[in-house]
Order: sequence, then structure tokens, then C-alpha cells
Amino acid sequence: MTVPLSTTDSMPTVGTIRASGPSFRDGRGLDRVLVWLTLGFLVAFSALPLVYNVVMSFQSVDLFTIASFDRPFVGLDNYKAVLSQRATGTIVRNTAVFVGLSVALQLTIGFGLALYFQQRFPGSTWLRGLFLAGWIMPGLVVGGVWSWILAGDFGVMNWALQATGITSDKIFWLSDPSIALYSVIIANVWVGVPFNMILLSVGLAAIPDDVYEAAEMDGAGRIWRFLTITLPLMRAQLGAVISLGIIFTLQQFDLFAALTQGGPSNGSNVMQYWSWELSFQHYRIGQGAAVSVLMILVVICVAAIYVRSTRHEHAA
Amino acid sequence: MLRDERLTQFALLFVALAMVATYMFPVYWMYVTALKTGTEITAWPPSFWPANPDFAAVEVWQRMRMGTYLKNSAIIAVGVTAIVVVLGTGCGYALARVRSRWMDVALFSILMMQVLPSSLMITPIFVSFSQIGLLDYPRTSVILAQAAKVLPFYVVLTRATFAQVPRELEESALVEGNSRIGAFFSINVPLARNGILVAALLIFLQSLGEYVYSRSLIQSRALQPATVGLQSFMGPNTSDWQGVMTYAAIYVTPIILFFVFLQRQIVSGLTSGALK
Amino acid sequence: MNMQIEIDGVDKHYGAYHALKHIDLRIPQGQFVALVGPSGCGKSTLLRTIAGLETITSGAIRIAGKDVSSAPPRARDLAMVFQSYALYPHKTVAGNMMYSMRIRGISRAKARARAEEIAKITGLEALMDRYPRELSGGQRQRVAMGRAIMREPQAFLFDEPLSNLDAALRVHMRAEIRKLHDRIGATSVYVTHDQIEAMTMADHVVVLRAGVIEQQGAPLDLYDRPVNRFVAGFIGSPAMNFVPGRIDSDGAHVILDLPDNPRLAIAGRRPAQEAVTVGLRPEHLIPGDGPNALTLPVRSVERTGSASYVRTDTQPHLMIAAADRLAGVDAGTLSVTIDPTLVHLFSPEDETALAL
Repeated sequence: MTVPLSTTDSMPTVGTIRASGPSFRDGRGLDRVLVWLTLGFLVAFSALPLVYNVVMSFQSVDLFTIASFDRPFVGLDNYKAVLSQRATGTIVRNTAVFVGLSVALQLTIGFGLALYFQQRFPGSTWLRGLFLAGWIMPGLVVGGVWSWILAGDFGVMNWALQATGITSDKIFWLSDPSIALYSVIIANVWVGVPFNMILLSVGLAAIPDDVYEAAEMDGAGRIWRFLTITLPLMRAQLGAVISLGIIFTLQQFDLFAALTQGGPSNGSNVMQYWSWELSFQHYRIGQGAAVSVLMILVVICVAAIYVRSTRHEHAA
Repeated sequence: MLRDERLTQFALLFVALAMVATYMFPVYWMYVTALKTGTEITAWPPSFWPANPDFAAVEVWQRMRMGTYLKNSAIIAVGVTAIVVVLGTGCGYALARVRSRWMDVALFSILMMQVLPSSLMITPIFVSFSQIGLLDYPRTSVILAQAAKVLPFYVVLTRATFAQVPRELEESALVEGNSRIGAFFSINVPLARNGILVAALLIFLQSLGEYVYSRSLIQSRALQPATVGLQSFMGPNTSDWQGVMTYAAIYVTPIILFFVFLQRQIVSGLTSGALK
Repeated sequence: MNMQIEIDGVDKHYGAYHALKHIDLRIPQGQFVALVGPSGCGKSTLLRTIAGLETITSGAIRIAGKDVSSAPPRARDLAMVFQSYALYPHKTVAGNMMYSMRIRGISRAKARARAEEIAKITGLEALMDRYPRELSGGQRQRVAMGRAIMREPQAFLFDEPLSNLDAALRVHMRAEIRKLHDRIGATSVYVTHDQIEAMTMADHVVVLRAGVIEQQGAPLDLYDRPVNRFVAGFIGSPAMNFVPGRIDSDGAHVILDLPDNPRLAIAGRRPAQEAVTVGLRPEHLIPGDGPNALTLPVRSVERTGSASYVRTDTQPHLMIAAADRLAGVDAGTLSVTIDPTLVHLFSPEDETALAL
């Protein structure tokens, strides 16, 4: 299950209650206290670890120094070590493929479904909502189910492919290094499609009918209407879906844990899994932190671009 | 003309049902496999309906000590939800009401903390928690870490809900003699109740499926949640797919039921709140 | 007189925006005061600072002699009717009315009894257990009123309470609110953008523009003796006509800057050749010939049955509101006369009224 990110801004700008009055109960400080409760917690359990992460990425941290507050600084050694490993190229490429393919497929399928369920027929809204069941299930269970579906010997996927004549041999989805990554992508697309669909449905619903009617009067056919009205009017929404898709895809961990554990031989390893692996399986915590720092930079850049762009729209 | 219209509607509905069915196949497959017995699991071609349905729930429950796992999952989810609701509701409200540069900064920081992937945050969290001795309370550690992970999401959702409560209602309560805290509890919270409940439910369900933190912070098997239990059950070369699917089915059925009953509220909560 | 609300040099800034500029206002006990002005003039902001919903940047506000400048709303003991009514959607009509008493720790039974009493006055008896969403607009308005009079507050504040009602109901509620005010003998501050509402309901009208009080006084004083062009144009409907002109060499006439340069007698004397803006109310231009007459080309006539509105074909256009139907006058010219005492003069530079 992934988490939506929002910059909803439906607040009126005038008539702000400036908390007035002397006591806390009447709030000069009430709003600030309420915000600081949350911010304080987040600073303690997100922001400080974030900073600590950066510090550790310049230190030598392993099982022996983990408890010590006075660890030797090693400069960029962790980064050098991480970037010079043989697996690094594969893992970076895997991450790019994983994100690119997942986002592209989720978006295409999600958009298609959103367009289909935009038509009015009995139960359309309810049926559309059912898709979210895939999103709400624990990632590890989704991974478990898919690893059974994709099982090499008795998996139903292989049976379906053979029965329809698409392949003649069984595909070893999870144990073939050149295919394992695509297995995770399939499961990840399954998880991500509903969210994409719902998000895009909201955008589609916001396009007024009369715009389409006007275009129809002007003689625009179905495809032409899609290209000249739907797509341009959905631009902001599509941008949001793509940014969120990248962010969520970079958060995906459970499916790797359940399906391939990054293997075989890093064939399906990605940065976010590798970082965990370095820290918790190889106990090269400094290196794990270095990978983590690099990826967090990527995630925050994507998120900041997205938030700023939506801010801009609201202001305009 | 009217007949055509109805025919189209049925055709659309039929195709929609087919798409839902295709999408839902993995869920179906999980349940069917859970009902199959040993030899049928490895039958080739696979059977799509169990010949002798046998739901080994009790056996798997006992063998896998699912009671313990699910109890731990529930403890973690309840703990996370409690922290998040207590801390986040007021924050969502304040962010919806007050507009200033500082509030914008606060909102931006909260949004940024929402995108931090758990698998990348776990390294510093693990080290710092172990240094300050929090790891002696592993479930508490998971609760704190997971609460920090999902709190921003909750704040964003409830902020959207509170923004929909007209400001005049609260102002009226103030003029009528209430304090801001009084107005918050007697006017804003009741009116935002549905949004708060949906947000809390989403946090609860999400925490019920938490994996990265539990896997990394909890060593003792007796304290691990159901996700970690399932992972250790599956192992690298499992063949007990009936057992795994039974486990999975027991685990997710309550989640799916929750979802089916509250589908409309969840979808509307998500679409009105998070996705504009 | 016993001052119920005193506003002393109040300023309100929103960042760089100066919303209220040194407002001074004294409202005696029992008076009905209307704050009126175009949108954005600060009338609602002023009301909200009285309510305590906005803090003031400087100055002081006293209610019943007590300084409440920085007191929270609940310490001010006021009642307010909002434009949207602000009925609590999760409470019944009775629940809405009882809310303020329940906060004050008054027992449910007592509050309920009071609510029943108020319901009789406002005609809400049959609706007590309904929710706001089940009420019509007019009924909601009544509930908002009823809720406000549950207590005996220091003053009632109204923020455009009638603007969501249809025209007929609005006229009816104007009288109702005024009746209620007289009956309770309370102090009321009423914000509206509709000058007719202000003129018909209030004892004292305060005209605001851009955060400044332009003029305040009894309604007809504002109509008869506007202190500047803005107030003159804002009060009265249709709005006053303004025509540039110049004082004639005799100092007792003004020459209008219209075709044929017509001359009008004025009620006093001004320096000869002084440039002025002449203000003529449409209803003061009476069709007919007489000593102080103007003959104007007609562009169009709108007839409502009870009145006729003539637009002249001049630059600027003049509006003439006549009580008769002006049969046959649709083009050509129309002669109108005006009482010299009803001719207003304003300075073209600072737009203030010129004494006559």
C-alpha cells in the first residue's frame, strides 16, 4: 500500500482567524502548539534520523562501532566503495528500469481504466472502487500471492502463457536473473494501477461535460476530442500522477522482499532494497547510509519539483 | 433508441465486470489455493475450483503461531493509529485554518517527510534507536518509526477534511462563548468526523501491513507481526503454497472486508482529500 | 448617552494591506447601526473586530465600558448572525439554539425551556427537532436569528444576514429584524452592502470606503446632506447624477457642461467661475416647465408602471426618475425642473461637498 501525497489548497485566503486572546485556550499559541506537536514528533523520528543518516554516510559504521557515538570519519569512502562495486551499475540500471516501466505501465493502464469507468453505466463507481482492494492489501501479501502465481513449476501464469500458446517453455520468473526484475514490475504495476486510476478519474470528472459537447458540435470525433481536450486538460493531473508514481515506486520494498530478495545475483536488486541489504544483511551500515542518502536526494528532488509545480498552479 | 441505450449499458457493465474479474484474479487465486489440498496444488493444468475444498485455517493458525503474529500486528497498528490521531488531528486542523508563511513552511516540511521511503530511513533509525536503547522495546520502536512515516499522510488527509468545514461555524461558536479548543471539539471534530475516521482507518490498515521496520527492528519471533511471519514462512524455496495462501487469506480477509464495507467512504475520502 | 460600543482609533493591517484606517465610532445603548459600503470597504472587517474574530493592530474597543481590545470572542458577550447563517449542521434547531447556553453550563432543561420560548417569538416551534439541511432558506435565517436572541448579549452583530434570501422575503425580514430589535431593546450593528437596507432599518448609518468612515449619521441626513461625492452617489437609488459645471458670474447660478450650457439656480452663493461638480438626484428632476428648468434630449425610457426612468442623450448621461408614465416621451426632448435647494455641489478636486 502506498501513500498519496497532496498539496490540496482549497483554503480561503482572507478571514484567517488570528488566534487572539491571552490564554492558550483561546489560542494565540493554539495553532502553533498543534502544528509543533506533529512537527516535533516528525523532527525527532524523521528529520533527525535523516541528518544522522548523512553523518553516518561519512563514517565507518559496522557491527563493532554501531553503539559508539565516536566513530571515525572516513570522508567519501563509503560513497566510493558503494559506487565502485561491480553490482552498482546493474542496480542503478535496475532501479531506472523498475521506476520507468512501473510508472509507464501504471499510468497507461490506470488511464485506460479511468477513461473506461468514466462512462456512465450501472455500478461504474462501485466497480471502480473495487480496484483499490489491490492497493489496500499489505505489500508482503501481494508479493506472496504473486510469487505463487509466478512460480516456475506450478505457477498459473506459466500455465496461462503455455495454454494460450504465447510461450512453449516454462519461464522461471523469479529465478532467472534476466527476468526476475520484470516479475517485481508486474506485481508493482498491479499494486499501483488502482491508485493511478482513481487519481486520474478525479481529474477526468473535473472536466465539464459542456466542453466535450462544444467540441462535438464543432465536429470533433472521439479520438480528436481525447487528443485536443482530455489530454491538455489532464496535463496537471498527469504530471501529479507521474511524480507520485516515481515517489511510490521508489518506496517499494515489500514486493522485493517477498518475491526475489533482489536476486538472483542482484538481477532484480534496486537501490532502496540494496541500501537495506547493505545495512542489515552485510552490516556495512555506513555504505547502506550512503546509498540511502543518494536515493533520498532523488526522492526529495522529485517531490519538491512536484509540490512546487502544484503550488504554482494554485497561486495562478 | 432506448433499447440501444440499455444494450450499450449492459455491454459496458459486462466489460467492466470482466476487467474487475481479471484484476481481482490474484485475490481469487489466493483463496482458491488456500482451499486446495496437497496434490491439487501441483496439478498441471491447475484447477480453478478446488475439487475437495479444505480450509486448513486451524492447522496453519496453530502451526504458524498466527495468533501471536496477528496480535503483534494489531498492537503495532493500534499504537501507530493512536499516536497519529492524537498528534495529527490538531495539526491538520491548524494547517487548514491558518494561512501564513510559517504554516506554508510547516506544510512543505510535512509533505517532504511523507515521501521518505521506509527502506531508506531504516538504517539511521535502527542505529539511533539502538544507541538510545529504544531497541529494547522493539514493538514500541516500530510504532514510533511507523507513526513518523504515516503521520504526514494523516495530516494531509485531515487538513483537507477540516478545510471543508466552513469557517463561520467555528466563528459562530466563538462568538457564542466557546474557546477555540472548545469549538474545535464541539464543532470541527464532529463535522470532520468521517474524514478523520477514514484517514485513521487507512493508517490502521497500512500499519497492519507494515514490514520494513518490523523486519529490521524486531529480533524476537514472539514480537514480530504477521508480515514478518509470512516472509519467514515463505522462505526461499517454499512448496507449502496451500499453507502460505491460507496464512495470507486469514491475514487479509478482515482487511478486504473492512474495505468492501467502507469502500465508498474510503474512495471519497481519498479523492476529496489527497488527490486534488 | 450610555455608550454600548466604543471604537477608538482602530487600525487593522493584513501584512501591507491597511484594512481599517483609524476608525472612530460610538454606538449608544439600544441603537441600530448599519455599516454600509461597497465590497472591500472594510465593513465586515470592522464588524469582525468588534466580535473579536479579528485582532486589531492598534486602537481600542470597549463594550459596555469594558476594554475588550485583546479579549477573545467569548469574553465579549455578543451574538452574531452570519451571512451563511453558520448553523451547526450536526445539531438540530433546538441544539443550535441551546449551544451558547450549554457552553455556559446552563442545564439542558433550562436551555430547552428558553429555546421553546424563543421559538414562539420566531415561529420555529414546529421545527425544533429538524436539522438545518431540512430547512428552507427563510427558516434557516429564522433559526440564526433565534439562536442569536437566546441570550441577552451586550449587542447583536449582523453580517449581511439577508443577502441569501429572495427579494420578497428580504423586504419582509427587514421589518422583522427591526421589530425584534425594538422589542428586545438591544444594541445592533448591521453590515450590508445594500444602502436601502441600511436606510430603512438603521437609526444611524455609517458609510465606509477603503477602510475609512466617509460619513455617519441619521439615514435621511446622509441623503440630504452628503459630505462628499462618494456618499452622495452611494446613498439613494437610482444613484445621483454628476455633471461638471462652473459657477456663473452672478455667483447664484451654475452653468452645466451639457449641450446648450443650461443654467441652474443654486440655493446659496459661490465664487464666480469656480469649477464644480453638480449633483442632481434622479428623483429631484421633475418633468415639467418652471423657473429652474433644463431641457434634455431623451435617449430611452424604462417604465415600471409605478415609475419611469429616463436616460438622457447627453455626455454624461443623466438619469431622471419620474412618478408618471411620461406617455409619448421616447425620443426628442424632455423638460425637467429642480428645486434650487436640492442642487448639490462638490469640489472637483477633493470631491467634498461645497457649502451653500
